[in-house]
Amino acid sequence: MKTFFYFIIIVSSSLIFSAGEYRCGSMECDYFEADVSDKASLQRGLSTYMNYCYGCHSLKYSRYKRVAEDLLIPLEMYENNLIFDGSKIGELMEISLTKDDAINWLGAYPPDLTLEARLRRPDWIYTYLRNYYPDSSRPYGVNNRVYQNVNMPHVLEDMQNTLSKKQYDQVIYDLTNFMTYVADPSAEQRRRIGTYVLLFLIIFTAFAYMTYREFKKDLK
Amino acid sequence: MSENTIGKKSLDWVDKRFPVIDLFERHLSKYYSPSNINIWYLFGFLLLIVLVMQILTGLWLMMNYTNTAEGAFSSIEYIMRDVEYGWLIRYMHAGGASAFFALIYLHMFRGMMYGSYQKPRELIWVGGWFVYVLLCAEGFTGYVLPWGQMSFWAAQVIISLVGSIPYFGEDLAIWIRGDYIVSGITLSRLFAFHVVLLPILIIAVVFFHILALHEIGSNNPDGIDVKKHTDQDGVPLDAKPFFPYDITHDFYALGVFLLIFCTVIFFFPEGGGYIIEYVNYEPANPLSTPAHIVPSWYYTPFYAMLRAIDFPLFGLTAKFLGFVVMAAGIAIFAALPWLDRSPVKSIKYKGILSKVFLAGFVISFFVLAYLGSVPPTETKNMLAKVFTFLYFAYFLLMPFYTRFEKCKPVPERVGDSA
Repeated sequence: MKTFFYFIIIVSSSLIFSAGEYRCGSMECDYFEADVSDKASLQRGLSTYMNYCYGCHSLKYSRYKRVAEDLLIPLEMYENNLIFDGSKIGELMEISLTKDDAINWLGAYPPDLTLEARLRRPDWIYTYLRNYYPDSSRPYGVNNRVYQNVNMPHVLEDMQNTLSKKQYDQVIYDLTNFMTYVADPSAEQRRRIGTYVLLFLIIFTAFAYMTYREFKKDLK
Repeated sequence: MSENTIGKKSLDWVDKRFPVIDLFERHLSKYYSPSNINIWYLFGFLLLIVLVMQILTGLWLMMNYTNTAEGAFSSIEYIMRDVEYGWLIRYMHAGGASAFFALIYLHMFRGMMYGSYQKPRELIWVGGWFVYVLLCAEGFTGYVLPWGQMSFWAAQVIISLVGSIPYFGEDLAIWIRGDYIVSGITLSRLFAFHVVLLPILIIAVVFFHILALHEIGSNNPDGIDVKKHTDQDGVPLDAKPFFPYDITHDFYALGVFLLIFCTVIFFFPEGGGYIIEYVNYEPANPLSTPAHIVPSWYYTPFYAMLRAIDFPLFGLTAKFLGFVVMAAGIAIFAALPWLDRSPVKSIKYKGILSKVFLAGFVISFFVLAYLGSVPPTETKNMLAKVFTFLYFAYFLLMPFYTRFEKCKPVPERVGDSA
């Protein structure tokens, strides 16, 4: 009977967790592992984001101050260099591009990207940003292997042309790492507290077990 | 203990006005449970803990949640980012929902395996089944509240099922939604159900469930009636008091459960997309349907049944028939006490047919759970039909196979061989 249950559990879990089609459009996603404790990488990613992406893509669920504090950037330095529209540091990271203008100029409203890394997963973003290719049939002359006929122009095209492949990959790594952070800013605190919680629970369970065992002796 | 301590005096004072000691004895220190119960008997206690946790975390979430279509999604992110430890409370609540269902399925399976629904425990079983139905409604209404894409479309699909009822279905669906499509109006009424009506009903029925249990006492893996053999004081010989023997076991189980639960919520809070679906990180958009609409994992067996029925019959639409089969899949649990005609309770002493059908039920439950979570194909739909049939066979053939199979004799007392 027991082996039978294990069999059911193993078979059904392998069924449930088996993967289907490609998650990254026409290809497998490239391997990406975020490291949100690497503050230097997050800072570089933030700088790329604010200079290349933030014109169109807001981070409207996040606040400037939270990002500055989590990434160990002095508030004053952040205010002077990374807030472009006179917002206060405690405000949400909204952009000045309006929906009507965006539809007029670009044909679509660029989505907010605060949660993009949770929605599409970091490896998708990492693969997507590294897979633009020239395609003269498209309005901006580029297409993407991960997101076929994407509306977004290749904003980092100049960068990709001037940097080496390795350097460019690093830029995208940092950017994706930052987006992973901003999608789930409590991740680091969560893992730190979680470790203590589990340590406490191990002690609790050990004592609970010993109490149980003591009482169980009565019953023999 | 000295006679005149403040503690003793205040206890006496209260006890004369409210039966604390009597209650403590009846439900804890002189409430007896069979000496042979095993780890399958720990889930009831854990469910109670999870219920309390859901109520407390829910209360704290409600303090910062906005129940409007415009504000719901961003209020969740506000909780996740700006509220101190809001992320922890939210992950506990979301993970708690999955834990609730995982535990209740184990708890129900225990009852099915050991025949705990049989006479005289029919009302305990039916009460428990009702808690499960309420929990399904609670889970569904709660899932809509973050107002992400999957929240919206799951609500749209589920409420539209009501619309498939002949004659008045469409009107009924509009009445339920309060609108022609799922909208902010629907959201705020589901919110009211989720935080007021359903929790009150769940607490009330759980209370009934436990009261009925404490009247009759727990069944056990052998299905032996331990109340038959008592000492001169009427204390069952093959039993032990709940306090302190079971409660210490329960706390040990709680430690193990919390270790697993906290590993999930602190290190894998999304549970690989099974606890919090990735698509739900996009705000609800009535104009764009997600590629695959999937319910939470705990509903997928029933969702697979709904999709398995893809043919109209007797002038009824396939959608309505699917809805009926799905509802029947949940409702049929309540009939178990009257479907089982076996002279013995536990699967240990039942015949081979009971074992085969129970195994068939478990396999079909898992396979349907898988099929309900993936996009349908022709083959998968065929499989869903076969396993829906197998699922119902366990219940509907039960009056026959339990009556005619050969059972083993049940021992008179715990530890005896028959």
